Amino acid sequence: MFTIGLFGVLTRRNAVGILLAIELMLNAVNINLVSFARFRGDLGGVVFALFAIAITVAEVAVGLAIVIVIFRVRKTVEADHLDLLRG
Amino acid sequence: MTGEAVAFGAVAVVLVAASLAVVLTRNLFHAVIYLAVALVATGVVFLLLESPFLFGVQLLLYAGGVVTLAVFAIMLTERLIGERLTQTNRFIANGAIVCAAVLAAVLGFLAGTPSGPLPAPTADATPAIGRALSGPFALPLELLGVLLVAALLGALHLARPDD
Amino acid sequence: MRTGSPIVALVVLALPFLSFAVLAVIPPLRRRGRTAGILSIAAIAAAFVMAVGLWLGGARVDAPNAGSHTWAWIPGDGGPMATVGVLVDELSMAMLVLVTLVSFLVQLYSLEYLDKEPRRSLGRYYVYQSLFAFSMLGLVLAPGFLQMFIFWELVGLCSYLLIGYWYERPAAARAAVKAFWITKLGDLGFIAGIVMLWAATGTFDFATLFEMAHTSRAPLAGIETIMFLIYLGAVGKSAQFPLHVWLPDAMEGPTPVSALIHAATMVTAGVFMVTRVQVLFALAPTVLEVVAWVGAFTALLAATMACVESDIKRVLAYSTVSQLGYMMAAAGAGAAGAAFSHLLTHGLFKALLFLGAGAVIHAVGTNDIFRMGGLARAMPQTAIVFLVGTLALAGVWPLAGFFSKEAVLGGVWDAGLELPFAFLALTALLTAFYMFRVVFIAFFGRAHAGGHPHEPGWLMRGPLWVLAALTVAVGIWFLVAPGEEHHGPGWLPAMSLGLGAAGFALAWATYHRGVINPAWLVTAFRPIDFLARRRYFLDAVYVGLYRGVMLALSRLIGWIDRYLVDGVLNVLSAWSLRAGDLLRRLQTGQPQDYVYGVAFGVLLLVVWVQFWRR
Repeated sequence: MFTIGLFGVLTRRNAVGILLAIELMLNAVNINLVSFARFRGDLGGVVFALFAIAITVAEVAVGLAIVIVIFRVRKTVEADHLDLLRG
Repeated sequence: MTGEAVAFGAVAVVLVAASLAVVLTRNLFHAVIYLAVALVATGVVFLLLESPFLFGVQLLLYAGGVVTLAVFAIMLTERLIGERLTQTNRFIANGAIVCAAVLAAVLGFLAGTPSGPLPAPTADATPAIGRALSGPFALPLELLGVLLVAALLGALHLARPDD
Repeated sequence: MRTGSPIVALVVLALPFLSFAVLAVIPPLRRRGRTAGILSIAAIAAAFVMAVGLWLGGARVDAPNAGSHTWAWIPGDGGPMATVGVLVDELSMAMLVLVTLVSFLVQLYSLEYLDKEPRRSLGRYYVYQSLFAFSMLGLVLAPGFLQMFIFWELVGLCSYLLIGYWYERPAAARAAVKAFWITKLGDLGFIAGIVMLWAATGTFDFATLFEMAHTSRAPLAGIETIMFLIYLGAVGKSAQFPLHVWLPDAMEGPTPVSALIHAATMVTAGVFMVTRVQVLFALAPTVLEVVAWVGAFTALLAATMACVESDIKRVLAYSTVSQLGYMMAAAGAGAAGAAFSHLLTHGLFKALLFLGAGAVIHAVGTNDIFRMGGLARAMPQTAIVFLVGTLALAGVWPLAGFFSKEAVLGGVWDAGLELPFAFLALTALLTAFYMFRVVFIAFFGRAHAGGHPHEPGWLMRGPLWVLAALTVAVGIWFLVAPGEEHHGPGWLPAMSLGLGAAGFALAWATYHRGVINPAWLVTAFRPIDFLARRRYFLDAVYVGLYRGVMLALSRLIGWIDRYLVDGVLNVLSAWSLRAGDLLRRLQTGQPQDYVYGVAFGVLLLVVWVQFWRR
């Protein structure tokens, strides 16, 4: 799942699409954490996963807000066109 | 083959399929739907892993909140139809190779490590989680609150109309 | 050998140095011109008195190297590596007297000769004169090669400074540089020889070296090469062929300077050196033969060039070169005593001739003898002293020049060097000829209309009379003193007198009586005349060598520097720029590219952990 998400990040052109793929990656990590918690009897994994979810939600919210602002300014959300960091 | 294993296998298949769909479909709306499916499937996995609390959280936050946000974002940034032509860019080949390689490597890792015996399923851990949150993990909890406030303020600021 | 007190020698050395230091360090004193001159003259006069005292008070000592007093200078293992000090023996005591005497007379003379100079320049002149006196005395007193070489170079520096005294004149500046350059060529050989000698024997000190040579403990391998290289220094300094070309041009300096350093002292440093280390030269007989042949050849060559010169100072300059050749020939023939005695006597009468020429130039305002004439009537005293000098140079009995020249010829004959002897004999004839040519043209004959020449003041006449008197006195001394054994075959005195008379007769007939037309002589000796007037094209050879070899080498090195050395750097910088451009393309500004980079990195890490840490 993680690699699928990675693939999505690399290939999606739409910024929102990229964010969706990021979600996939984060979820994969959570699964990993919880399974570790289950198989080693350690509750820390679950707590960690809980925090991860919360943080992810915050991040998605802000990220989408940024996407919206970019859309307002540049009138596009296509990743190929967002090259202001070009050196 | 235990029932658990079978259930996990089925959920895993659904999960992988949904993920692939998320990254591969052309229509962005469809991608969001598939994401929702994947998120629910993830929750089911949590359930299988003896964490019903997390299952609930996942459903509430992810499948509910995140998906809704994503839909709104898509609606607000959607341009004309011409946008939807190709949703994938030049990195298809490269990306595929790299990801496949990473996958292979990680699986190789896993194949190498021996898997120990399955410990007995514990009792419902939810109260334990609650105790953990207010005990050793209290500080991170508070910080999380700060983070959420910051995210909220940031989103509000960004969403302001240009004056 | 005779030796004296080293303290006195040091005082003699220190006096002109003090004068130099005071004048150099106190500009207001120096700028007062005549005051500076008087200070310098006082110092050198005191030094002269001390030198005479040293010489008269010398005592005979039987130890072979008792005269050498040294102090350690550069420390080294097993004794000092280099020493400084004084070596007091007959050779150095005699030179001390000569140098201080001629310096004193020249400095006195300069007060009047340069009376029209601005005061600051005059002060500068006396600074240089004091420095020169100090340097020459240090060279003469040197107990080892290292000190001698240091003072050798100092003397060369003073020569440069004094030749180029009138530095606004381009000819003078060029002449000074040329002198420095040519002598430097010789000095290259000199220092190479000194270092090789040191490498072979481990010492610079004369006393030690002579002892080694006597007991034949000196490592003899390569001694010929070493001594030849050392001889090269003398070639440059004493204007032997082919490094003689600087001396005629050095006449751009003031005439007293020419009298001092280009007649009596500096140029004789080469002869002095050869004489000083004759013990070492004796170990390399092949080199001595070269010395003799080159000396004789130089003598003849310079004499031919003197015959066609019209500048009175240049005639005297070529004459000096010629006489230096005489001295070297004697040294090469093993008659170092004869060489040294000729050095002393020549110092006296050549300085006399130069100062006399200076008086004439000062009075008439030109160096060209064909613009002079009849000066004997206008300047009788000058004419008399000049005539005395000419007679001495031509080797007329009983003046000093006769005895020393005869000793030289005898020594060369005794060594069995027949062709050099013939050269020297022919040179004797030519010497008489060109000197009397000058005398007849400048002092006799019709006077020229322009200018009214007059006798110089007593500051110039005094030194002239002193030198003339000394020339006669030294001649008498040779006559009556118990001399060394008579050199050479019995017919030698008669032959040398005969040659001198022949030269005189030829000049008298040509220039005084007009019996022989000079043009006939020119036709008779046309090829030599042609070459002599053009200085045998030697200057052209040097210029050609310089342009051809040195400039070509410089251009080659310049090319290498520009294209290879700089080229390497430019290539490296071009590569860096190109690499920078290439790397720049990584920064596309597109976030997916960066994520790709991260993913790729993660892949590499994972692969590395997976496979290579096993």
